[in-house]
Amino acid sequence: MKLRIAIFAAVVGLTAGWPLLAHHSFAAEFDGSKAMRLTGALSKIEWTNPHTYFYLDVNDGSGNIVKWTCEAGSPGALSRRGFKKSDLKLGDTIVVDGYLAKDGSHLIDARRVTLPDGRILSGASAGDGGPGQ
Amino acid sequence: MSSRLAAVWIPLALLLGSSPVLGQGDNGLTAVDVKSTKPAPRTADGHPDLSGYWKGTTDTKPGGNIGKDLPGFKLPLTPAGEAALQHNLTATIDPESLCIIGGIPRHNASGLPFEVLQGARKVAFLYWYSYFRLIPIDARRKHSEDPDPSFFGEELGRWEGDTLVIDSIGFKDEKVWIDENANPHSDALHVVERWTRPDADHIHVETLIEDSKFYTRPITYSRTWVAGKADEELQEYSCSENNVDKDHLGFGPGPIRPDGTRGYLDPAPLPPPLPRPVK
Repeated sequence: MKLRIAIFAAVVGLTAGWPLLAHHSFAAEFDGSKAMRLTGALSKIEWTNPHTYFYLDVNDGSGNIVKWTCEAGSPGALSRRGFKKSDLKLGDTIVVDGYLAKDGSHLIDARRVTLPDGRILSGASAGDGGPGQ
Repeated sequence: MSSRLAAVWIPLALLLGSSPVLGQGDNGLTAVDVKSTKPAPRTADGHPDLSGYWKGTTDTKPGGNIGKDLPGFKLPLTPAGEAALQHNLTATIDPESLCIIGGIPRHNASGLPFEVLQGARKVAFLYWYSYFRLIPIDARRKHSEDPDPSFFGEELGRWEGDTLVIDSIGFKDEKVWIDENANPHSDALHVVERWTRPDADHIHVETLIEDSKFYTRPITYSRTWVAGKADEELQEYSCSENNVDKDHLGFGPGPIRPDGTRGYLDPAPLPPPLPRPVK
């Protein structure tokens, strides 16, 4: 029973009371109706403020490589949840689930990042009012 | 794994695995409120010491909304204020996302922690994004006749008993949102913050916001923060280091939900998480 209470508390702690801290609203940049998945090779990493960026080379299915920009939270936000720069290596194939930019550019909100070893990490910008917050 | 353990952990794993914000948690930036029996510390001159690293509580809702304490979160806008709001919603990008100082009272509605360093004659508020305000504490000082407009305003501090009062005028009237929902303020803004430290683990503000150009009556905003851990402190955050998204941002904050927060009410779900590879 104690275990159940502890786990329930952990879940509540993870899902309640999201902090408001992102430097812009999710909805100001991304289209909440356009969820998508990208699978591609990591070509560049910018571990910078106000956002971390991953750049992916994605095969569009016709043999063409399309460059996509994946916007994630700030380095501080990512590292506090255990997502470290060393988790990403150039050339790795990663899967990014997120939402397309409203301006239609090849930019998505990297809400969920799946690493080659199967680990799933949140790339969300905490407190941006995006899905799940 | 026992069946009892499995019964608990598998739903937990599914819940987290399907969450688009896996592992986000509070990121250490907010904290669950605590009860405190420890008295507020005092400085050598006998005043409560407001110094500390302060974190918002998870039950402060809606965050980022200066109308938090008003019925329906409805701000009493004048016609000019309504026009300014519509302008902010339809023709301005969130100034904070362009690395412009949020100012007061917006920083008090933020979810980000802040740090206070209190001296005998000045008090400093240090914010994320590497912003700060430095306020003289001197009851004899008067506001300037025509202060240069600024985002934090011309701020004068004084003690009233155990309350630090910060009285501010001289605000900008452009490139400002009073909160994260794009509500406006004009250059007629007058803010009076009344800061107290009710015990060792809390800091509290009662805020009076007057702006006769944009609001038909004064607004109040109150909030309590809890003390961070001893080893927590502000970190470097260079907002303009790589602000790629400034070229992709639309006007306004996007939709505001009925609970007073910004965001889509019913966003599309993400694709289901991939199964972990079998080792």
